[in-house]
Amino acid sequence: MLSWLQNQVVFSAVLSLVLIAGMMTCVAYCIYFERKISAWIQDRQGPNRVGFLGLFGNFHFWGLGQPIADGAKFFLKEDIIPARVDKPLFILAPAISMIVALIGFVVIPWGGSYMLGDTIMNVQVANPDVGLLYILGVGSMGVYGVVLGGWASNNKYSMYGAVRATAQMLSYEIPMGVAILVVVLASGQLRLEEIVLGQVGGNGLWNIVLHPVSFLILLITLFAETNRAPFDLAEAEQELVGGFHTEYSSMKFAMFFLGEYVHMITGSAFICVLFLGGWELSFFGIGPAFPGTGIEDVGLISVIIKIGVLAVKVAFFIFLFMLVRWTLPRFRFDQLMRLAWKGLIPVSLGILVLTVMGVYMGWQRSVLFNLGSEIAIVAATLGVVILANKPVTGRQDNMPVVTQPLGG
Amino acid sequence: MIPYILYVLFALGGAAIYLAMPKPSGSQRRAALILGVGVIAGLLALMSIHFVAPNSNNFFFYMFAGLAILAAGRVVTHPVPTYSAVYFALVILCVAVLLVIQRAEFLAVALIIIYAGAILVTYAFVIMLAQQSGAVSTDTRAREPLMAILVSFVIAGAIAGKIEQIDAVPVKLTAQVPQAVTDVPIETALPATEMESGHTKAIGEIMFGPYLVVVELSGILLLIAMVGAIAISRKQVPIEDTGEPKLPVGQIGREVPPF
Repeated sequence: MLSWLQNQVVFSAVLSLVLIAGMMTCVAYCIYFERKISAWIQDRQGPNRVGFLGLFGNFHFWGLGQPIADGAKFFLKEDIIPARVDKPLFILAPAISMIVALIGFVVIPWGGSYMLGDTIMNVQVANPDVGLLYILGVGSMGVYGVVLGGWASNNKYSMYGAVRATAQMLSYEIPMGVAILVVVLASGQLRLEEIVLGQVGGNGLWNIVLHPVSFLILLITLFAETNRAPFDLAEAEQELVGGFHTEYSSMKFAMFFLGEYVHMITGSAFICVLFLGGWELSFFGIGPAFPGTGIEDVGLISVIIKIGVLAVKVAFFIFLFMLVRWTLPRFRFDQLMRLAWKGLIPVSLGILVLTVMGVYMGWQRSVLFNLGSEIAIVAATLGVVILANKPVTGRQDNMPVVTQPLGG
Repeated sequence: MIPYILYVLFALGGAAIYLAMPKPSGSQRRAALILGVGVIAGLLALMSIHFVAPNSNNFFFYMFAGLAILAAGRVVTHPVPTYSAVYFALVILCVAVLLVIQRAEFLAVALIIIYAGAILVTYAFVIMLAQQSGAVSTDTRAREPLMAILVSFVIAGAIAGKIEQIDAVPVKLTAQVPQAVTDVPIETALPATEMESGHTKAIGEIMFGPYLVVVELSGILLLIAMVGAIAISRKQVPIEDTGEPKLPVGQIGREVPPF
């Protein structure tokens, strides 16, 4: 019955259709949960009115119909293209954002292998040799949407947003790349599926145990790459109206928004795959590899469990993204640059050097060596910071200081 | 015979680019477009007849090769520099697709990350900052278009003619390099182990085997260039003394009143 599915190309096509539909639904509900979480943090109710056409009387399902209403509103709003914008690029920019976000997830291994009939399928749209680099490449293209949108809007605020976004993304790509390189060196693989398999099973350890500091660096840079608070200087509402999307309305604005959320999902899945064992949940003995045997369970139930495990991990990170957004204040721009260039890059480079040494000595799976080297690097960094005795705010010590209250 | 057709096509292509160059009096865009598309069609037809037999894989090759040439033409002929940068990004993407078709995935992705993701964004950034008040008069006229086109198309034609001569004689590649362009299906061309571990490993082995010194030297060169760039860009900016009292280091930021 399902023999037509036993071709990886067909399977991938079906999978990507399912994934796009699932992603879009997830994004809609992410926006709902973002509003709910922000309300929870600010001691409000959040959206709680939109039910399902009042079919159930006064019971509104906690506002679960809100995403549908939001989507309908975006489609029905007037789509304004202001006069004197650069029209082709103005239209192209949200499309680039959206496309780049949507092609990123194809290399994420959602559920390992699946035995369908007598053929083994990858539950992954594509499994290229350079899957990890592919995600990096696609992610680095994401800045074009922001830059072109900001420039084409013919608006100073948009322009500032675009300029900030460019500088920020270029700076944070470096520690991101180096943190990822640590994982690549430790596992000796560029294929995401193989990186997961390296963390699976009896003697496999999640990379977060071996490289906790690299994990934190990657997490921080992901916040920056997805333009989320505390790195959302490109759309800082208090300073730049709306930043790069000031002039956008209706579905074009929604496409920037959807792009950001899909980017969040892909980024979370990426960090789960690299550091948290992807679909693995071996402490409970269920799922992919029965501990000790190293044989991957490829049955249907197992695949469903694997996908569920990865989904839970991703959901945790998305929750973290939202929690951070509504609790931490935004960086100032010089602090942002300082953090990347003087903090994250030296630390990640130090870890990289020690990891290379570990690989050379054959200690890449040694907890003692890896943890020890990461702790040493962090301690050295803290020592430098303390010894330098510079103000942590990043202000220059010979900057003029306001001593009188302004305006009486 | 084939080289002469190539040379004629290149000459026509140069003429098309010349016509499309921005001029204060307006460029002959329609003539340039017709000529340019004709030249690309001629090149692709020549290639499909003479060099590579068309099949489903080559279809993408012809599509993206044509797109890359068109976009490259727009890079040099578009009057707005931002568009030139965007078209350049398109060229990079098309070339990356060509590399993927030849199963050089690592090169393709590296090209995208380094060129489109970092260098071109920086270009676009500079162009946009320099150009906030609309098009300036320097953008409406090309600078020395005739000489530039003459030189570049003579070089391109010479290279193409030479490649055509080499291509007539079958060349044996060394065994350790995975043979990229070939009529043989990839699966049979590469041993099974190489397919498993992929081309990245092969590239790494070549780069850090026979070419180790070159790689290290270019790395050092880049490092020197980076240090030089930092040294050039760092300038001492004198800080004006406003006569206001200074707070000791460590208290700044805490003692400043909020309003």
